[in-house]
Amino acid sequence: MTTAFFAAVRRWSRILHRDFGYFLTAFVISYCLSGIALNHVDEWNPDFVVHKQEIVLERAYTEAEVDEALVRRLGGRVGEQEHRIVDVPTPGQVKVYYDDASLHLYLDQRRGLYERLARRPVFYEVNVLHRNSLKAWKWFSDAFSVLLVLVNVTGLLILKGRHGLTARGKWLVAAGLLPPAAALVVFGMG
Amino acid sequence: MTRGMPLALALVVVVALAPDRALAQPAPKVGVLLANHGSRSAAWREALLALDRRVRQPLLESGLVHGVKTAFMEYTEPSIATRMKEFDAEGFSDVIVVPVFLTVSAHTFDDIPTILGRKADAHSLQALKIERIERYTPRARTHFAPRLDFGPLVRENVLRRVRELSQVPAREGLVLIAYGDAKYEERWAALMKDIAAHVRAGAGIDEFAWGWAGHVAHYDPAHTTRAIEQVLARKERAVVVPVFVAFDEMFQVKIIGKGIADVPRHRERVAYAPDAILPDPAIDAWLVEAARGLAAGLGRPSPVGER
Repeated sequence: MTTAFFAAVRRWSRILHRDFGYFLTAFVISYCLSGIALNHVDEWNPDFVVHKQEIVLERAYTEAEVDEALVRRLGGRVGEQEHRIVDVPTPGQVKVYYDDASLHLYLDQRRGLYERLARRPVFYEVNVLHRNSLKAWKWFSDAFSVLLVLVNVTGLLILKGRHGLTARGKWLVAAGLLPPAAALVVFGMG
Repeated sequence: MTRGMPLALALVVVVALAPDRALAQPAPKVGVLLANHGSRSAAWREALLALDRRVRQPLLESGLVHGVKTAFMEYTEPSIATRMKEFDAEGFSDVIVVPVFLTVSAHTFDDIPTILGRKADAHSLQALKIERIERYTPRARTHFAPRLDFGPLVRENVLRRVRELSQVPAREGLVLIAYGDAKYEERWAALMKDIAAHVRAGAGIDEFAWGWAGHVAHYDPAHTTRAIEQVLARKERAVVVPVFVAFDEMFQVKIIGKGIADVPRHRERVAYAPDAILPDPAIDAWLVEAARGLAAGLGRPSPVGER
C-alpha cells in the first residue's frame, strides 16, 4: 500500500512536472529575462533604446529668439521636419517635441540634446508582463507562479534512490537555501 | 400669424430689457485641481488632502472658483484622469491645475500635460502606459499655476525650520536634502543655493551642502551621509532639512534617517526633524491667491495662465 502510494505520487509528479514544465516555458524564460533587465534598472533603460544626439548651437540664444524658423532649422540638423509643440521648462531652456522624440535646447550653454525613443525589442514586452503593466495580468501571473511551485515540488518527488530527495537531493536543496540565507544574515547585520 | 404677434413682441421686449451679460458668453465655471505626485505613504497623502481641506473654503468663498479637487498622479486614486472626468461631468468650463511640486521635473513639465492631452511627450507616453496611468483629455480648458519654487515660499519655509533646529549658527552648517532630478539638476541645484543664501542671510549659517535622495541618487542614504560629512568637515554641527513637499517614511525616515545614522557621533553632531514643507499657512495663502488670480483672468476676453 505504501509502496503503491509512493509509486503513484512519483508517476503523477512526472506527468505534472513534464506537462506543466512544457506549458510554463515561455513564462519562465520571459520572467527570467525581465528579472535580469529590471535588476539593472539603474544601469540601463530596460524598456527603451534612447538614441541621443548632441548638437552645438552656433551662438547663445534667448527664449524670445527661438522662433519657428530657428526651431525648423535645428530640427533639420537632427533629421526632424515637423515638430508638435515648443515649450519652456525653465529659464534658459526650450524643449521641442516631435513624434517619439524631443530636442532639449540649453540656450545659454549653446547646446541641444536630441532624444529619440524606441522600444527595446523583447525586453519591453517581457517587462510589461513582469511589472503587471497590463490590467488584470497579475491574476494570470499568480496562477503561473502557483503552477511553477507545483512544477518544482513535483520535480523533487520524481526520483527515488541515490538521486532522490532523501539522498543527494536534500543536500542540493540545502545548498540552494544557503545564498538567500546568507544574504538575509548580511542584511540583518547591516 | 396674428396669434403669433404677442409672443414675438414679448420676445423683443425680453431681449431689449435683458442686461448685456445675457447676450455675452456664459460665465466660466472654474475648478481647481491640486495635482500632486502621489505616494504609497498614507501620511504623505493625508498631508496633501489636508492642504485641500485648508484651501477649499477660501477658494470657494472667492466666488471665482466653483470646485476644488485633489488628484494623485501615481500610485493611488483619485488620479488626475478621474478628477478631470468628474470636472467634465459637473460641467466645469475651466480647470486651474495647481502642481503641488517643489520645482521643475519631468512630472510637472511633461507627464501631467501629457496626462491631460496637452502634450504627447514620447517618454511620458510610454512611461504612463507602463505605469498604467490613465490619460484623459478633458472638455474643460486647463490652465497651469506655477510650482512652489515660484517666489520666496520655499526659502522662507526652510528658514523657519532651520531656526527651530539651530542653536549656535556660527558653529553650524546647513544640509538640504531633496528628491533631485537628473534632467533638471541645474535648476534643482540653483534652488538649493537660493535657499541656502536665504538661510545664511536670515539665520547666519554660512556653510552648506546639499544631497539628493530620489531616483537620481538611487534612493541611497550615502548621498545624505556625504553631504552631512562635507559640512561637518568645517563645522561642529549639521542642521539637516528635508526639502520635500510632504512627509513620506521612505524619504524622511528610511533614506535621510539612515544617512544621518551612518554619520559618526550623529546624536550630538546632527540636528534633524523629519518634517516637510507642508503644512505651511504661507503656502496655503499663496496657493489660494495664485488660483484666484488665474480664475479672475478667465472671465476676461483672453485667457491667461496657459503654458
